[in-house]
Amino acid sequence: MNLILIILGKFIIKISQLLNLGSGSTWPGHIALNINDKFIEQTLDKNKNLKIIVIAGTNGKTTSTALLKFILEKSGKRIFTNSEGANLLNGVASSIIKNSDDFSKLKFDYAIFESDELNLPLLLNKISPDKILILNLFRDQLDRYGEVNSIALKWLDSLKILTDKTEVLINGDDPQLYFIGTKLTQKVKYFGINKKLMKLKEIPNDVDSIYCPVCLSLLKYDQLAYAHLGDFYCSNCDFKRFGQKVSDFSNTKINYPMSGLYNIYNTNAVLLLIKSLININTEDINKWLKEFTPAFGRQEEIIYKNRKVFILLSKNPAGFNQSIQTVSEMVKNKKANFLVILNNRIPDGLDVSWIWDVDFKPILDVASNVYVSGDRVYDMNLRLRYENDEKNIITFENLSDAIESIVSKTKEGERLYILPTYSAMLEVRKILLGRKLL
Amino acid sequence: MNINIGWLYPDLMNTYGDRGNIITLSYRLNKMGIKSIVNKISINEPGELISKMDLIFMGGAQDKQQEIVNQDLKNKGSFLKKLINEGVPGLYVCGAYQFLGKYYKEADGNIINGIGAFDLYTESPGQNVPRCIGNIVIESKLFPKTKLVGFENHGGRTYLADKNLAFANVVRGYGNNGEDKTEGLYYKNSFGTYLHGPILPKNPELADYLIEKAVQRKYGKDVKLKKVDNKWENKAREFVINKL
Repeated sequence: MNLILIILGKFIIKISQLLNLGSGSTWPGHIALNINDKFIEQTLDKNKNLKIIVIAGTNGKTTSTALLKFILEKSGKRIFTNSEGANLLNGVASSIIKNSDDFSKLKFDYAIFESDELNLPLLLNKISPDKILILNLFRDQLDRYGEVNSIALKWLDSLKILTDKTEVLINGDDPQLYFIGTKLTQKVKYFGINKKLMKLKEIPNDVDSIYCPVCLSLLKYDQLAYAHLGDFYCSNCDFKRFGQKVSDFSNTKINYPMSGLYNIYNTNAVLLLIKSLININTEDINKWLKEFTPAFGRQEEIIYKNRKVFILLSKNPAGFNQSIQTVSEMVKNKKANFLVILNNRIPDGLDVSWIWDVDFKPILDVASNVYVSGDRVYDMNLRLRYENDEKNIITFENLSDAIESIVSKTKEGERLYILPTYSAMLEVRKILLGRKLL
Repeated sequence: MNINIGWLYPDLMNTYGDRGNIITLSYRLNKMGIKSIVNKISINEPGELISKMDLIFMGGAQDKQQEIVNQDLKNKGSFLKKLINEGVPGLYVCGAYQFLGKYYKEADGNIINGIGAFDLYTESPGQNVPRCIGNIVIESKLFPKTKLVGFENHGGRTYLADKNLAFANVVRGYGNNGEDKTEGLYYKNSFGTYLHGPILPKNPELADYLIEKAVQRKYGKDVKLKKVDNKWENKAREFVINKL
């Protein structure tokens, strides 16, 4: 039965590629699951040698998956993943179809499945992975995913029922995730970052979890990295980040391949995971980290008309604030041009209220020209003007016009910065590269 | 002139971008040449501080945060209720709006008492009934020249003791309960509403109404506010309404 579904799926992929209908990253899986809703667990069960890794979290899934895949492949392992954007069950099923041979064998060492907030419980209901990496949990698309606390509860429930075979690697600097870790009977490891890198002076506005998950009292922080990530302790009970347990790689010299604190988190998370899978020395890791190029749209640089266009996907308050922090440190007092694009399509979330939880001041401080565009361009115009109305906010409803204008305002050879939401990022790449490319 | 804005539970009732309302009030007061101070009033601040405020704002949050606030309001609620009854203008969005009613009835029948400043109650239909989520357009007699726009995302259904208490009529969306076409409540210069968006940046008339009431209560009925140019605000609102 499943063999027929795999052959059928592969046929659909071929057809859609021939007809140029896209890469077929969800359709075949969608059909397979409709015919047999146990397709995923049955096919994976037939491939006992395959180790399964699940990566979940609000931000950093794609980057972490790409980095993990890159290093494991460098060390000689064979990997397949569910490709970008296909982090629902149908995407997982499609990746199985695509990578099975004609005898429904998956000749790989590892499958890495990205899973979004809502799909993690659904996926864990079907399979018991060898490793689960939980990167972070921030408010994101509240109209679609719901509130952070209710997601955390669902995650905890779905993790609890897994067998002891599964090892959980979790962000130890996130109070709510750390709390989940303490409630699990499986083996749990924690990652975090060096306390010396935590420099935030006061608790910012994009926090979700600064009340104690045990007793509901206010949490305090000795050090704060960003959002609610940091060295926390409860002002009332004995709940606190357990420093010794959190792997922060502060004693290892790591060549971090991307800018920003959030990428130090992603990298440390991946390193902890790799060390739990294979024997690897720091020298090799650093060599390979140097060769790593970011996933598309995540600190990706595209040369367009001799300008360096630097794209940072920015899709929720915590992620946007980290993008802003990162670019403002890159630009410092040199000044640069910025384009901020706000779309509100299904993958972005329909509600744009969240932009008011982002602090735009650091980019307004270092910007020579600020452009805005996107489906909700005037909402972004208002947001930026209410932050600083001395700056001229150049407003374009049409994205191509905005890009041509900012390029003409930027000297050849210089860098300009684009901060788009998810669907806007895909549009930007299409305009800059002249075709749709994932 | 000097206006004290009280921002209730900024670290708890802060989930849905409602901070934009505080940014808007401060921005517009500044444009009008009026000094303003934002006073954050949360768990650790005394209830007496509420009594010193000229304008109050409180936003929406997640259920768990609301549990903490509910406990704290047992103590601060009386200060807030008194202030509202005296006519101190305020904006209470989503979760805050629900707290100001008589009670919130959970799906299992459990009753959580509100502070009873507004004559309304709210019922949770339970996890299996879809939340009221989407763009919302309303019209209010207080602002006859324009429709107002926002985004709603709430599970609870709110019922007013008297429909005449409503802040607005629903043109598009759910509003208080998705049944009777009412949205929010208006009572003695205080507004309860389900509109995020946030509500004030794209609906500057409401922001200025709150400011005017605050200024006139403090400095006399004759004080006229300096007009703020609303070109971009109107553009943003029309752009959204036209897309719906």
